[in-house]
Amino acid sequence: MIKSLFVFRHALPRKTEIILGIFGFILFLTIWHMTASSGVIRPEFLPTPFAVAQAFVRLFTERDFASDIIVSVGRVWFAFLLSVVIAVPLGLMMSTYRAVGAILEPFIDFLRYLPVPALVPLLVIWFGVGETSKIAVLWMGTFFQLILLIADDTKRVPTEYIESGHTLGASNGQIMRHIIIPAALPNMIDNLRITLGWCWTYLIIAEIVAANSGIGHMIWSLRRFVKTPEVMAGIIAIGIIGLLTDQAFRFAHARLFSYQRR
Amino acid sequence: MDKFIKVTDVTKTYWSEDRKTETKVVLPLSLTIAEGEMVMFLGPSGCGKTTLMRIIGGLEKQDQGSITLAGDLLAGPDRRRGMVFQSYSSFPWLRVRENIKFGTRYRKDVSAAEKEEITDHYMGMVGLSAYSDFYTNRISGGMRQRVAIARTLASSPDILLMDEPFGALDAQTREHLQFQLMDINKSEKKTTIFVTHDVEEAILLADRVVIFSARPARVVKEIDVNAVIPVEDRRNNTADMQKFFSLRNEILEIIRAEYRQTVEAT
Repeated sequence: MIKSLFVFRHALPRKTEIILGIFGFILFLTIWHMTASSGVIRPEFLPTPFAVAQAFVRLFTERDFASDIIVSVGRVWFAFLLSVVIAVPLGLMMSTYRAVGAILEPFIDFLRYLPVPALVPLLVIWFGVGETSKIAVLWMGTFFQLILLIADDTKRVPTEYIESGHTLGASNGQIMRHIIIPAALPNMIDNLRITLGWCWTYLIIAEIVAANSGIGHMIWSLRRFVKTPEVMAGIIAIGIIGLLTDQAFRFAHARLFSYQRR
Repeated sequence: MDKFIKVTDVTKTYWSEDRKTETKVVLPLSLTIAEGEMVMFLGPSGCGKTTLMRIIGGLEKQDQGSITLAGDLLAGPDRRRGMVFQSYSSFPWLRVRENIKFGTRYRKDVSAAEKEEITDHYMGMVGLSAYSDFYTNRISGGMRQRVAIARTLASSPDILLMDEPFGALDAQTREHLQFQLMDINKSEKKTTIFVTHDVEEAILLADRVVIFSARPARVVKEIDVNAVIPVEDRRNNTADMQKFFSLRNEILEIIRAEYRQTVEAT
């Protein structure tokens, strides 16, 4: 039985994979619980999973955590979509017209190596502590990465597809709309999913530094009172939101691009 | 002879990345092809035959010389010159029928209803009607090449350019498609340039075989295959095999001599 799970480079039934995934979570929680309740580490540093679960409920009932979540999710999606609507057309142009690529690539390569957290003070000086500076942090963190990813996806469209288009009588614009975009779309959507994940990283940085609402702000202010269970519950909430978004993206990807299934 | 396609003094040189060394791919080369003719470009690998065909297709630009099609000077690619590639160029996001219909997408000479008819006509011709709703990653390589051929025919090009279209297929599938192409050629009478390095494929399909030298490409010999083995005999598998083999050996000897020259030169 156990042996059948460990066959070298062998696929497993979907059901078995799900059970093993749940098993991984349970294993983690068990080790956590045993460590926390053994008394070796003080509960201020490591509360039990049950204490964290109770804190999770308290966050919603006593601290209006739901509105913090809505604020954070709103910021992430607003900044993310702002990145997407600019990065996608620019990325397409960069890979289509060499001149656009030659102008933008070195500049973007420089910008994307600037550590975004280091830009926060500057952005606060520019935009104050309002929503604009937080959106700017998220946008800076994703836009320059995304534009290069989109350009790469477009470049990877096989030349034969494009040459076929030319010899079938398509104009450049038609090749872009009818061939390049549909061909690159599956990889683009995948890259959007990954970029959205990064948004959450930068969101917490932005909300810790300058905010009076949102998940990051909540976590940071509870830290001051050493409310470790609440802090951990807040972190776990981000994990859950991330997991759900990721799964939604994967589900949509599988539905939209069912032709990739073999 | 009717000069439907006329290639005049075409040259092509590739430069290395640092622009220090040049490689002449095509020497001043001239060639004419008649309307409805099936011409096989044959030559040692890397000799520049594909480059010449891509120049005719407008996908690459010659350095010098000109190409005319029915008297019109040609530049970039357009719908008059349809291309079938060696790699599978059917679109994975479209089903078999949608792929073939894509060939009619940019035609303004036919109505929407006619486009549907044309699509069904060519889908039937390549024997894929039963696979109409399949995505192309779920059909075999041979079927994908048939999709590409049908899609190109549906666009109604004046000439069909085929770049080793059966090169990646297994022997049985290749033979099947060769005979299918002969049938298509009989009903369509489409002017075709077909690049191959397979001598038997060239003899089987050709009206005329053009043998190229090793790089830089120049025409070594042209052979009117119909004068030796009538196309009907080849199509019906009743060709005089003695003649077939002696022609094959003659061509192979020319190519071998060319190949030896390249090896000795380097």
